[in-house]
Amino acid sequence: MEANEFVVRMEKITKIYPNGIAANRDVDFTIRKGEIHALIGENGAGKSTLMKILFGLEQPTDGTIYLNDERVTLSSPLEAISKGIGMVHQHFMLVSSLTVAENIVLGMAPKKGGLFIDYKEAVRLTREYSERYNLFVEPDARVADIAVGMKQKVEILKALVRGAQVLILDEPTAVLTTQETVELFQELKNLKEQGFTIVFISHKLKEIKELTDRITIMRAGRSVGVYDTDSISEQEISRLMVGRDVVLKMDKPESVPGERVLCVEDLHYINEWDKKMLDGISFSVRQGEIVGIAGVEGNGQRELVDILFGLKMPDSGDATIDGQSLIGLPQARIRTLGVSYVPEDRMTFGVAQTANIQENMVSDRYSQKRFNKGPLFNMKSLYDESDKLIMDYAVLCKSRAQEVGMLSGGNIQKVVVAREFSSDPILIIADQPTRGIDVGATELIRNKLVELSRAGAAVLLVSADLNEVMELSDNLIVMYNGQIAGYFDDGQWDDLMMGEYMLGLKRQSDEEIRRACHA
Amino acid sequence: MFGQFFQTIFQADFLFIIIRITAPILFAALAAVISEKAGVANIGLEGMMMITALFGFLFAYWTQSWVVGVLGAMLVGILLGLMMGFFSFKLKTDIILSGIAVNMLGTGGTIFLLYMFTGLRGNTGALVSPNILIPTIDIPLINKIPVLGEILSGHAILTYLAFIFVFILRIFLYRTPLGLKIRAVGENPNAASSVGVSVTRMKYIAIAMSGALAGLGGAFMSMYYSQGWNQGMVAGRGFIALAAQAMGRGEPVGAMFSSLLFGLAQAMKTKVSGLRGMASYNYLIEMIPYVVTIIGLVFYAMSIKRKARRHQLKPIKEKLS
Amino acid sequence: MRDKRMVLFGFVRGAAAIALALAVGTIFIFLSSDEPFTALKYLLIGPFVSFHGGVTAFNTQNFYQVLAAMIPTIFTGLAVCVMFSANQFNLAAEGCVLVGGFVGALVGIYVNMATGWHAVICVLAATVVCGLIMLIPSILKVKLGASEMVTSLMLNFVLLYIVLHFLNYHFADRSKGATMTYPFLDSAKISSIVPGNSKLTWGFVIALVISFVIWVFMYRTRWGYAIRMIGINESFSLYSGMNVGGTIVLSSVIGGMLSGMGGSLEVLGRYNTFVWRELPGYGWTGVTIAILAKNNPGLVPLAAFFLAYLNKGCQLMSTHSDVPSEMIDIIQAAIFLFFAAEQFLSGYRQKLVVKTTREELMRAESLKATEGE
Repeated sequence: MEANEFVVRMEKITKIYPNGIAANRDVDFTIRKGEIHALIGENGAGKSTLMKILFGLEQPTDGTIYLNDERVTLSSPLEAISKGIGMVHQHFMLVSSLTVAENIVLGMAPKKGGLFIDYKEAVRLTREYSERYNLFVEPDARVADIAVGMKQKVEILKALVRGAQVLILDEPTAVLTTQETVELFQELKNLKEQGFTIVFISHKLKEIKELTDRITIMRAGRSVGVYDTDSISEQEISRLMVGRDVVLKMDKPESVPGERVLCVEDLHYINEWDKKMLDGISFSVRQGEIVGIAGVEGNGQRELVDILFGLKMPDSGDATIDGQSLIGLPQARIRTLGVSYVPEDRMTFGVAQTANIQENMVSDRYSQKRFNKGPLFNMKSLYDESDKLIMDYAVLCKSRAQEVGMLSGGNIQKVVVAREFSSDPILIIADQPTRGIDVGATELIRNKLVELSRAGAAVLLVSADLNEVMELSDNLIVMYNGQIAGYFDDGQWDDLMMGEYMLGLKRQSDEEIRRACHA
Repeated sequence: MFGQFFQTIFQADFLFIIIRITAPILFAALAAVISEKAGVANIGLEGMMMITALFGFLFAYWTQSWVVGVLGAMLVGILLGLMMGFFSFKLKTDIILSGIAVNMLGTGGTIFLLYMFTGLRGNTGALVSPNILIPTIDIPLINKIPVLGEILSGHAILTYLAFIFVFILRIFLYRTPLGLKIRAVGENPNAASSVGVSVTRMKYIAIAMSGALAGLGGAFMSMYYSQGWNQGMVAGRGFIALAAQAMGRGEPVGAMFSSLLFGLAQAMKTKVSGLRGMASYNYLIEMIPYVVTIIGLVFYAMSIKRKARRHQLKPIKEKLS
Repeated sequence: MRDKRMVLFGFVRGAAAIALALAVGTIFIFLSSDEPFTALKYLLIGPFVSFHGGVTAFNTQNFYQVLAAMIPTIFTGLAVCVMFSANQFNLAAEGCVLVGGFVGALVGIYVNMATGWHAVICVLAATVVCGLIMLIPSILKVKLGASEMVTSLMLNFVLLYIVLHFLNYHFADRSKGATMTYPFLDSAKISSIVPGNSKLTWGFVIALVISFVIWVFMYRTRWGYAIRMIGINESFSLYSGMNVGGTIVLSSVIGGMLSGMGGSLEVLGRYNTFVWRELPGYGWTGVTIAILAKNNPGLVPLAAFFLAYLNKGCQLMSTHSDVPSEMIDIIQAAIFLFFAAEQFLSGYRQKLVVKTTREELMRAESLKATEGE
């Protein structure tokens, strides 16, 4: 083995955040020069943290980093950049009001007269790199006005202009259309031929198989193995990733659908950048069934859920609960109609981090009569309620008085779910209910969802985790490009078939799709 | 009564006064603009002006040079800015709270410092001499033009500087690499740091510049406007400046126009309280700039809201059936 | 285990902040004074100890005065606590104290009522008026998103000039040299609870009672709960179905009411006529108190006592030595800065967290190992 074979060597990296979460534990990670290296793992497995450390955004609590066999400390992105490391973040790091060229030269702007920005030179530089690496962008366009695919190219150019030799791409395809993804892969292969080294973070196995040379798999903050991509099967990767063989079907009792609870009729929504996010969505969810919504993220699921829970107004269309429209209602009214909601972003919407468990568990019901005695809280009933929920949902904590922010991700989600599932809802909207949490909590939440639906609740499950929707759903909707691409009610689905609908390769006839309304 | 009122308003010397009164507000408003551009809310402007006004005057007195006084005030402003920055960026005190702390230093601390340095209590009246005050200049040619000359010529050097700074700041923000970085940091700090722009450093630079501009405003107050330092001198101008920044949409030129509006209101107060029959309204007239600020903020907030309306919750009555 | 360590850490940090601030003050005293030790003596122990005739003894009157000085600041401290708890940087407590005092004074002069009820009505009127005033910044915030910080700052000046206008042109006692109102009726005055001239009135007792009431309100009622949750995470509260806008308005109105109550109790207890001609500064002290009390109403009297003590110390220092009493502002600013600094001594905190997390991981793993067997 040649001494300088590895451009990057990270040894025994440990990262503990100030809130006590251990994101990385003794991780070893190496990259060979000129390879495309995949870093894969579930959400929360610690990939992003590891890469942030490599890019100088986070400091490791422990461990060492070598670049070309030289031990380094990367205390800031500036240092990482100067040592030839560039990163393209999942959420674009661009300043919207500036032009593409301004964004590209930000921090290294060419000058004229010693003082002023030489904007023409900035444009020229942008053009030069854009042509050299075959990454087409419009230098004069404001970033706010350009498409996602171009934004990503701007990001890659930003790194290249700064002399990056190692490019880290954090889930670059998550926001791209199929066409854009194909383009991106061509560009990345092109860069590899020119001698660049690329770290590709993803959880799309097909992409990894197609693009990468080697693969590092992470699970729960640790590295669980490094493989040549050719030598490992997708099943093997997925087994290592989730730590068990993927369960095919959950054992769940037969669903007996009752009355329609939620009816969505012809929803249209255009976002602030005038992109059509919902384009005529109609379906219904009945008592006692779980309807899953599958789809690549960014195909309208987010907007649909926001509308159903009162955060956004649709441009047209309606959604009703037991015949009562919920469009434009405040959340309090939507909740009194019997809707409960497990939000995707649990830290923003699900909990108040510095409040304690008990306070978090009653946020939707604290004003009910049973918890109040006149103007005062009935503390005993509040304590009883939260203690009961802590028991029922096996929340691992010291006491109900512990700060929620101090719990692990899985236990925080249990707090959210305990609250949302225990309010006798007639409709549960569960948005990515098990994202980034441990297996135990995942299992518990899934079992509870099934239990509640069999007891008569209508469940709308939105998840980017294909296994999850396929496992749990009684009926399944696939969304693509703001529309329903397919509706499946026979339980006969597999990931290959789903993939084709999710990626827009296939679409059912309008008639088949209309069955989703159960009208 | 009102006839007399309007006669007074439409006179050259009235417009002259507006410009004079506007200058310190404008300095402070520009100070608010630069820090806000970097995403730093500098609520400590009031205290900064008090402290720099004191030190500007003291430096001028010690050296018997107004130039040194002005530069000293800017230096102290910069130091105060850096201090706020240290507490807020390094020790993570909420920036609003560090601002309040600077204002505390401005109210009582200045009296203490004045006593510590000079043994005087409350004001510097005893130390004033003409050569430490900021001189006025007549602009050749323009001062020959009737009316316009009366309005534009004969101001203090710093008055002209305030208006010149509007355009310097604009060019700085939009045409220089540093300005670009500051705007990027204010709009999207993550984007800026992802290309190695040090967010903290930009914020330090912005709040130091903010301090320097506040220093100019402070020096203007003690070394020209009030001819000496006294305790109630700044009288909320630092707070008005925050409002001028907000009303001016955070842009230098916008801040200039809203500062002029406040200048107008204050000039009216001084004019009107001298008129027969109007004198007993002097406090209410003094109130006008603050009311105007609140109204201005309301309109600004409404315009933003209207822009965003389509994408936020629409009122229920617009609901589709 | 982690929690206990953190609580201890919190205490150590607070003490360190105060010590550091006092150190800053000491440095300034040594820089400015010819008799720094005398100055320090009066600053630190003056409020409680009298040195007359070489005898040191507990100074009851000074002690009463310190307690009396807490009356308005407990109220503004509570007001700021309630508003900051809802994450509202509303700084209009300052103006409300003034208006509260003025309204209380007017009712105390012009309304004729039986002793006992009169003072109550004065205070209630001030409370209600100031509660209503706070509708302005809070409704502008909730309905239009106008920054409550800037509007409340402006509002302070508006209130000041309105009071000055009415004081000068409508309610001034022209027979006096200075601008002041006619004297309050005796029935409106808040009486002392101790002998002497300390102005330690029933207002102090009311302040303590109200502190407890506000603590109960914040921690034991649905409204206080909603205020705290909104302050911690507004999005979460909205999604939980709370009435976010209404609660924010409520917190501001309560803040206004408390400030108004404090202002009227202070004016009717301390003076015979209304004499304030500028903003009294209690609102800003209230901010410091709320920061020291970490927004916990239960700790407000303690924080108010600390500041009143310091203030009295500074006054005594300026009387008995050559250091001006405005020293208090420098010390207060320093306390404020260090106390509010989240990262102050944070390196130590991070070490604690890492240590505890490691321990917990190890425990969990050993637990798993034993389970596996």
